[in-house]
Amino acid sequence: MKLLQSSKESLVFHLGQREKDILLAVLKRYPCIPSAHQPLSKSGKLPHPEANQRLLDEALAENRAGNKRQLRTFLADPRRLAENETGFRLSLSPSDLEWLLQILNDIRVGSWIILGSPEEKAEASLLNEKTAPHFWAMEMSGLFQMHLLEAMEGGRET
Amino acid sequence: MVETATPEVRPGKIQESEEKPQSGLEPGYLVVCWNDPVNYMAYVTHVFQTVFGWARKKAEFHMLQVHEQGKSVLTRESMEKAEHYVHQLQKYSLHATMERDE
Repeated sequence: MKLLQSSKESLVFHLGQREKDILLAVLKRYPCIPSAHQPLSKSGKLPHPEANQRLLDEALAENRAGNKRQLRTFLADPRRLAENETGFRLSLSPSDLEWLLQILNDIRVGSWIILGSPEEKAEASLLNEKTAPHFWAMEMSGLFQMHLLEAMEGGRET
Repeated sequence: MVETATPEVRPGKIQESEEKPQSGLEPGYLVVCWNDPVNYMAYVTHVFQTVFGWARKKAEFHMLQVHEQGKSVLTRESMEKAEHYVHQLQKYSLHATMERDE
């Protein structure tokens, strides 16, 4: 995945056939984080904690439903990954990039949760036939994330 | 947090987010980000910049605090604003919560 063009309006990437197949296979796993997974507070010392937690869960569920709709449209649009002689061109607006980062990180973090939230050093001992697809999704989504972040770096105000 | 690169900024004392509430004012709520071994450092920095509109240096400062100290208090806000920020951070799958500032 290589950055071809960068402007305020869009970033254009080149992907080889294999990269494109992997990206689509990773994205099809969304969502991976279990619903109602995140607590609003650790201490629980908030007014109306249950009602506030429910509101947060509902807001995140709504966000996830919107992401799923947008992802379906994204995957169905042939212009998103336009084929050329050497591979595919992926064109993303700044808002597309933010959205795609959220999707990829949900897959990365969700795969890690499915694996039992292991510490980095313990990961190797958990690798087997059953867990391999989740490790694969975690690593591949992280790889695409890093490509996107590196590409965005240039346009960021520091 | 997964290491990606080592920025130049190092964590130190946070002035603005450690202010104590003054009596008579609405109780404050701290927005806290907690460490985990899965989110990339570069990603966390990016999210802080996006959600809070911070410059890169400040975002890296808090990211390093999360990484090295296990958590960072990102801001102190009213209940509604703190809820808003926690929601935004959780949309990016960061481990963020809000805690009453006592």
